[in-house]
Amino acid sequence: MTVRLLAVMVLAAVCCGGCGDRGADAPRTVAMAFEDALVSADGAAACGLLAPDTVKELEQSSGSACAEAVLEQGLPAAKAAEGAEAYGSMAQVRFAEDTVFLAELDDGWRVLAAGCTPAAARFDCTLQGG
Amino acid sequence: MRVNVRKHGLGLFFGLIFLAALVGQGFAGWHQFNNDQVADGLAAISLGNYLTSASFAADVAENWQSEYLQFLLYIVATIWLVQVGSPESKELDEVGLESDEKQKVGAYADAGSPRWAVVGGLRTTVFSWSLTLVMGLIFVISWFAQSFAGWASFNETRLERLQDPITWGSYVLNADFWSRTLQNWQSEFLAVGSMVVLSIYLRQRGSPESKPVGEAHTRTAVEG
Repeated sequence: MTVRLLAVMVLAAVCCGGCGDRGADAPRTVAMAFEDALVSADGAAACGLLAPDTVKELEQSSGSACAEAVLEQGLPAAKAAEGAEAYGSMAQVRFAEDTVFLAELDDGWRVLAAGCTPAAARFDCTLQGG
Repeated sequence: MRVNVRKHGLGLFFGLIFLAALVGQGFAGWHQFNNDQVADGLAAISLGNYLTSASFAADVAENWQSEYLQFLLYIVATIWLVQVGSPESKELDEVGLESDEKQKVGAYADAGSPRWAVVGGLRTTVFSWSLTLVMGLIFVISWFAQSFAGWASFNETRLERLQDPITWGSYVLNADFWSRTLQNWQSEFLAVGSMVVLSIYLRQRGSPESKPVGEAHTRTAVEG
């Protein structure tokens, strides 16, 4: 009985830690700050919230600095988030005008892709990492 | 409380190798997870975060549910199904739940019988099925845990691929859930079936899971 009890306790522990949508307040806040930076045309602030791979891809494809290039992408500057979901180290925040994908990195949640619209197999994003 | 190790060697042995294997799985899975994270340009996570992640929970639960299902089916199937020549089967004429006398229930209980076997009524019925009930309960809990953890892990992968997450209801109908489930089930069913059939013709001297070495292949329900 002791072994069975131990098994149930371990299972409960791993289940409680790992199950389901883990709460998306933190990535939602970062996504909203990113959209606010776009609304106020603050390229430096927007770039500070991007994942390093996304910054690298943007600078390589545009040939200019991130702070300048991010404002030239024609990204929709959204206002209120309509929904957010986070699973593990990934999250999606949905706005009426935009869908943003985020990843949890060493220094917190960062925008991986933005300006995303649904396509057949996956979202088609104006801005995304390589 | 002093435990007599020799008397409880079998339980202690499996308890210890279970914990050792779980710790090993935790470390190996953590390294594998972080390798994938770095390859995808994402941050490595701590061991503590990995051990509470959906990925680890799904890997643990999917194996647990299949093991408990295996023993659950074995316990229940051997009530009504027999296999001539197998020490895993009971005698061919003992199919079914058997008499109260043979099961030492109620009036046929002896001095050492558990109280719930003696008292009759609901308690004796519950106790008569308690092994199946507990194994079944752990199976169901493990399978649900697999579905929730697998769902979260599957959605994490979908988000990495810039796809919409799906609902839990969609996940339990998804090929990923059934692939994880059935790949475990088939191996468990094969192992049990092999044990039933191979033990007709093969022996392991000294093991109660085998017939005595010199026992005839045709003898059923004889353990060494």
